[in-house]
Amino acid sequence: MARPDVRAWLLVGPATLFIFLLFVAPLGEMLWRSVGGADFTLKHYETFFSTPLYIRVLGHTFWTAFVVTLICLLLGYPVAFVIARYGGKLGGLLLLVVAMSMWTSFLVRAYAWMVILGNRGPVVALLNALGDPNPKVLFTTFAATIGLVHLLLPYMVMAIYAVMARIDPAHLRAAASLGATPGSAFRHVYLPLSLPGVVNGCVLVFIICLGFYVTPVLLGGPQDHLIAGLIGEQIEELLNWGLAAAMSMVLLVATLGVLAIYNAVVGLDKLWG
Amino acid sequence: MAEDNDSPRNGRAIGRRTLFRTGGAVIAGGLAAPAIIRPAFARDTLYVNTWGGSWTENATKAFFDPFGKANNVEVRTLSPVSFAKLKAQVETRAYEWDVTTQGLPGLARASKEGLLEPLDESVVDKSKLAPDSIRYGCIASHALSTCLVYRTNKFPNGGPQSWADFWDVKKFPGNRSLQKEPGQALAFALLADGVPKDKLYPFDLDRAFKKLDQIKPHIKVWWTQGSQSQQLLRDGEVDMMSMWNGRAVELIDDKVPAELVWNEAEMVAVHWVVVKGTPRAKLAWRFVQFAHQPEPLAKFANTMNYGPLNPKSFDFIPEAQAKRLPTWPANAKVSFVPDAAWLGDNLNELARRFNQWVAT
Repeated sequence: MARPDVRAWLLVGPATLFIFLLFVAPLGEMLWRSVGGADFTLKHYETFFSTPLYIRVLGHTFWTAFVVTLICLLLGYPVAFVIARYGGKLGGLLLLVVAMSMWTSFLVRAYAWMVILGNRGPVVALLNALGDPNPKVLFTTFAATIGLVHLLLPYMVMAIYAVMARIDPAHLRAAASLGATPGSAFRHVYLPLSLPGVVNGCVLVFIICLGFYVTPVLLGGPQDHLIAGLIGEQIEELLNWGLAAAMSMVLLVATLGVLAIYNAVVGLDKLWG
Repeated sequence: MAEDNDSPRNGRAIGRRTLFRTGGAVIAGGLAAPAIIRPAFARDTLYVNTWGGSWTENATKAFFDPFGKANNVEVRTLSPVSFAKLKAQVETRAYEWDVTTQGLPGLARASKEGLLEPLDESVVDKSKLAPDSIRYGCIASHALSTCLVYRTNKFPNGGPQSWADFWDVKKFPGNRSLQKEPGQALAFALLADGVPKDKLYPFDLDRAFKKLDQIKPHIKVWWTQGSQSQQLLRDGEVDMMSMWNGRAVELIDDKVPAELVWNEAEMVAVHWVVVKGTPRAKLAWRFVQFAHQPEPLAKFANTMNYGPLNPKSFDFIPEAQAKRLPTWPANAKVSFVPDAAWLGDNLNELARRFNQWVAT
């Protein structure tokens, strides 16, 4: 490999400057604010860790992200499999549907779920017909989870599909020719080959979910708020920007922790294929 | 409270703190970013912060267009209204808008945080203002009320008429919703618990939260946006709720079976705010003086169902409509007005406790 020379530095220069000005510097400012700036203090971190609600919401955020990731995986894997394995018109159509849902505004999707799950929606009508006169569907953890899964499912499908598309079908034929049943060929050949996609999809969905808050606020109950919502509240309503910065830092560190585990197990470079 | 406004900026010398504040006030900068992009020479343009939707539309017809035409000024609107952004702009001295509106409690809070430009008497002719229309150096615009509203088809034999009724889940069963607004929800709780309207402030917080505990399981959702509140009642997600009077009237005019209760409504006086330190302050004050005049204010209040805070505006509003406004004497008499000074001092602490209470 050649040693990077001046030209290499020039090539990465603009991007580096951009990232420094618009990402590293603001992040540094957040860190600075979270410790009270020049009047150094850890009181914001103290407040965070001594308030049971914040700890609970942080835990709930990670739990929600976990559940949503798991559901996305269970729903997304078969879809990606069908697209990659059968391709053609059906695969193209499925890919289009997945991409379209990704391009629709998340607010529109949240309001659509409000209609579907609401009092005049089909779900409540069905439950009424089944004998529950006053079912609670909207403004529950269930509704918030559905909304998040709908939002993040495309990321999972895309990530898994990207890896599956590169699996050579000859591997499966080889397994069959050696006497493997389709199930056994899938389990011992296809599944292990597709695992990097699964891990990528899970990390993507998990991390995006950690920073989300509008959907659970609109669809869930008061207990379903995620940590990003509390941070927004500190900025917008309580004007406590120091605490908001400290909360953001805690979320950032926790997220980096997840990435570190991922890096140790799989390797970060795998994230991009 | 907010620890970022401890030192007023008197000097212009660039010290470490100043550098830090101007150079890197990132949360603030993020909120006020478009101002950096906008050239500073646009001095004949006034930027007004509005609530968006029909608010902006009607304010444009009543205030912005006539004022702009008469003074050869371009008025541009930006929404939504954000207290955090008001503070961010003053801190970073990057002004995205020059004028905004705040209810009296917010005004008291803004005054305490030093976010209000002092009244410029070289521009504003006080003799042309209605009596008692200046608070914290800001000029009054209109009043809006948050009322108890219920679905009439759910309660054909008469619905809840007070917050005590709202709390009475045996007599008036059904789903409920309240605005996620600490000062207001706590006041309603105290009224429900039998505290007289004129003895609400300062809040007995423990008593208020104890009363709120009783209603919490019956609150299906804590609403935060006007349109959301309408959707909740229109679709029958809830059977009774707190709602802004203008939003409720819109539903009723839309043939939604709903009734608005003026009794124990919270009436908030909204004032125009000129953002502290804005380079277009003089123009802003000229605008505010214009907006307070009886006729434009009448036009705006009439279409928005707000109560004009210039009594002469009523000369331009038909009586049938005036009776539906918060400041109509019969309505105002049974409403209550929050204690802005006390709320301004305590809002942060109330909000902190209330938001935690809601989420647990």
